[in-house]
Amino acid sequence: MKRLRSLLLFFLPFVVFTYGSFIVFQAACDRAMSVQAEKLLPFNHKSHVTKYDASDCELCHGYYDNGRFKGLPTVGDCKMCHDGNTAKEKAFFKGFKDTDKPWTSWVKQPDLVYFSHMAVMKNTKTARCASCHGDKANSMTTAKIKGKMPMGRCMDCHTSLKISNACTVCHD
Amino acid sequence: MSGHAAPKKKVSDMKRLWGMSIDLDKCTGCGACQVACSQENNMPIFDDDSDLPKRVVFLDLMKVTNENDKDAKFGEVKVAYLPKMCMQCAGNDPENPHPPCVSVCPVVATDVGDDGVVSQIWSRCIGCRYCQASCPYEARVFHWWKPRYEGSFQEGLNPDVSVSSRGAVVKCTFCSHIWKRERDRMIAKGITDINAVQYTPACVSSCPTGAMKFGDLKDPQSPVYEEKLRRDPRAVRLVHSIDALRDTNPAEYERRMKIKDFPNPKVWYLTSNEWLREKLSGFKKS
Repeated sequence: MKRLRSLLLFFLPFVVFTYGSFIVFQAACDRAMSVQAEKLLPFNHKSHVTKYDASDCELCHGYYDNGRFKGLPTVGDCKMCHDGNTAKEKAFFKGFKDTDKPWTSWVKQPDLVYFSHMAVMKNTKTARCASCHGDKANSMTTAKIKGKMPMGRCMDCHTSLKISNACTVCHD
Repeated sequence: MSGHAAPKKKVSDMKRLWGMSIDLDKCTGCGACQVACSQENNMPIFDDDSDLPKRVVFLDLMKVTNENDKDAKFGEVKVAYLPKMCMQCAGNDPENPHPPCVSVCPVVATDVGDDGVVSQIWSRCIGCRYCQASCPYEARVFHWWKPRYEGSFQEGLNPDVSVSSRGAVVKCTFCSHIWKRERDRMIAKGITDINAVQYTPACVSSCPTGAMKFGDLKDPQSPVYEEKLRRDPRAVRLVHSIDALRDTNPAEYERRMKIKDFPNPKVWYLTSNEWLREKLSGFKKS
């Protein structure tokens, strides 16, 4: 009994330290990857896909001419379809501006990652949107589907598709 | 033996091997390359940049003189300017190129890319500075202080290059983010061939006299075709005295290449000044 107690006392600091550092790292990782994303609108992907026939994700999440990914659509992109005549739309376009409070993304990568959507989506070996983001096309809310995108998941795909896994491929 | 698990078999389609040549006879020492490099790679600005070991620049424009300034008579002092960045060196084994810094890094913060460029990830670096000690060219710099960007500099930072924190080693990566940017542009045009992507680092595109040239070392069409540079009598590589033996004593050259891992830099300097060549290569003919 006494031996057990001394053993417990011996290991307790290690356990506490490990648990504490885990919490700290987890918080830092969550902050870096925007786990607490702020979504201002209850956006419904599924209704947009069915009603407005936006089956191609690139209609709103497209590319610039130089190959940069646009990311989250702006209010101007919404106005391509919504003319803003109904009372609900009028209130929205009056109240929501891009500059006020932009949406934050679930999937923000840290600064050291150079992730090119163009290179992953339009190359000879391509991925699908859902393979990283989850089935967004059928989601009714802005909730997170697939969670964080750790580097191991990128590397798994690269290894299976025989794409180079050298650091410079994605990091800068 | 290197600590990290580099893939023995190359899986990438990359056939390019980026290299650079700098014509020192054309270089006027204007310093445009250094400014362009610092701006492109988010170099911080410190109050006192005269503190050389603590200064943070990727590309150092060095002044080289033939004599000690105090002893030389008027008219005998010759001056040349030497833009010195990371030489992107590789060992003797082309299958497994590992420069001295990659071999010693304990956290795989630095690695050799498929295009021969030695990469460095600031955020992974733990600041042990082994790589800085092992570098034959003193091309790596250490962030002793937190990088500060005064005033509107903060808004002008390059989003493609991550900002380093304090306590990390940083280095030139031949502006490999520009290559990624150019690749995106090529794919947007519909060209998915990775070898079709050509780019120019910031220092080369800023050089007003065209002294710096950048390209593929394996491509005969490029201005820095390696086979041509090897035969060029004006070409010299920094502190790489083994190059002088290649023509004069091939047997000895082979023997030394087997027993020692020479760095084999990918940056070539061109000069017709004999004193400068001796000074750069560390090899005296007499």
